Amino acid sequence: MQMSLAIEYAPREPFDDSPLVRWVINSELWLGVLPGAAMWLAFCSRQAKLPGMVTSEINWPEALRAADNSGALAELRGILLNGLRVALRDRSDVSEAHLEDFAQEALLRVLDRLDQFAGRSKFTTWAHTIAINTAFTELRRKRWRDVSLDALTADGKQLAEASAMPGNALGEDEERSRLVEALRRAMAEKLTAKQRAAIAGELQELPFDQIVALLGTNRNAAYKLLHDARRALKAHLAAEGISPEIIRTAFAS
Amino acid sequence: MKPLTPLQIKGIVRMVEQTRDREFNCSECQSFVGEFAERQLAGLPLDEALARVEHHLQLCPECREEFLALERILRASR
Repeated sequence: MQMSLAIEYAPREPFDDSPLVRWVINSELWLGVLPGAAMWLAFCSRQAKLPGMVTSEINWPEALRAADNSGALAELRGILLNGLRVALRDRSDVSEAHLEDFAQEALLRVLDRLDQFAGRSKFTTWAHTIAINTAFTELRRKRWRDVSLDALTADGKQLAEASAMPGNALGEDEERSRLVEALRRAMAEKLTAKQRAAIAGELQELPFDQIVALLGTNRNAAYKLLHDARRALKAHLAAEGISPEIIRTAFAS
Repeated sequence: MKPLTPLQIKGIVRMVEQTRDREFNCSECQSFVGEFAERQLAGLPLDEALARVEHHLQLCPECREEFLALERILRASR
């Protein structure tokens, strides 16, 4: 059975009876096709090695620090550009010119931070994180809104008031009401005006960098400000006898 | 400021509940996120530092957005 199948499906000699192919072979026209085929093969080979798909073991820090680093710079720029094309392919507000600018800016930052590369990931992965951060920081800047620190501080103050967070905000359930009341009291008693302002900014979905700028601080300090606020709220809820279990139960239904 | 929606209040409570005494900030997260992404894609276990990256990504929408973009690049490069 196998034999008969093999015979049945054995491929025929390709084009063995095609008059056209016989004419091409006889006329030696195929000689003209060879250079084109060679170019096609070279193109395919290049495609396989396109930046972004590179898995080579280049010592990037060394190559970038070399006196003649032009090749490494061009290669890395291509890798970052291709990465950004992939990362931002769904963004209709990002043009190829934007991507080129982001890649160029990211390349400069990579060079600037070369000493910070600790080798915990591939170099290209590390460089991609810088490129992504560069691009997203710039894109988020377009979402900055016209908000002053005074307005944000006033909004933060309201977080501690019943008008912004009424006890029945999550329904009439007793545990939920107790939770909301405790949260509001903690906002009033345990947080600073700056912490409340930062939380108000987050609730309004302001870009974090805008909150940082409004507070006149840096990103890490602002994160610590919010972290300390969350810790204070958590400690207050625990002191009020509201455990994580109670919170989970309150949100279960 | 308008009264908070139930979703916003739940968001605050959830963030409070997830708070740990020691957390990575955004810069620390960025230092480790490359390794985190590579190991996660390879299905490899995470050490304590990388567990903190994972935790930070749950709390920080902007770092999470950047991590997802990195993950997309690494997947396309495989």
